Amino acid sequence: MECSVVPANLDREQLRASIQEKYTAVADTPELGFHFHTGRPLAAMLGYAAAEVDLLPRPAVESFAGTGNPFTMGRLRPGETVLDIGSGAGFDTLLAARQVGSSGRVIAVDMTEAMLGRTREGAQALGLANVEARLGYAEALPVQDRSIDVVISNGVINLTPDKVAVMEEIRRVLKPGGRIQIADIVVHLEVPQDARDDIELWSG
Amino acid sequence: MLAFTGFTNVRWGTEIDVFSGSRHESDAAEFETRGVTFAAYLA
Repeated sequence: MECSVVPANLDREQLRASIQEKYTAVADTPELGFHFHTGRPLAAMLGYAAAEVDLLPRPAVESFAGTGNPFTMGRLRPGETVLDIGSGAGFDTLLAARQVGSSGRVIAVDMTEAMLGRTREGAQALGLANVEARLGYAEALPVQDRSIDVVISNGVINLTPDKVAVMEEIRRVLKPGGRIQIADIVVHLEVPQDARDDIELWSG
Repeated sequence: MLAFTGFTNVRWGTEIDVFSGSRHESDAAEFETRGVTFAAYLA
């Protein structure tokens, strides 16, 4: 069986650089406003419990830029090993770490070291010793085969040019019977090829 | 793509318009882009 996905004709390194620049700006200057909602208003829109958001460090909340709420698909269980792909400043990572507790752990993968630094700072501020931040790409996850119970991700896979490769990586790292709880985007109108090939439109 | 990569029991959540009304609207709104959350299990 073949999976047919129309590839975009673009320079992947350029795309990654553009996305890194955009989301670093979200983290550094969230008050500027972007083409998507951010921060606490977005979290409320997506159904995150205010009481849980209130517990998170301010930088993780203010730079939150997801497209959904992976936890609406079910809370994580104590002891589970979770992978957060494209973890940004750590909003979902920190919530996940609280849910799985000290017997579980969360591996946060992001392609930007600055974002990983914020995740580590957030975990330290909350006294969470079960968070590990790793530099890497969604298409080449720095994670062992069959080691993950749950993969979460929020608004990230749409930013990757090779989505089949990402899903194959997710399959590789999940334990048999493991699950995904992913938020992303769907597009209801056909996007023309010239728009698919425009890096500016990918990153906003 | 989920079936192709070995996932089953796919569940979809409610679609949410996460772009309209943002400070700088873009083509995302023009293409009726929505946020959505889904879950699935590895077979």
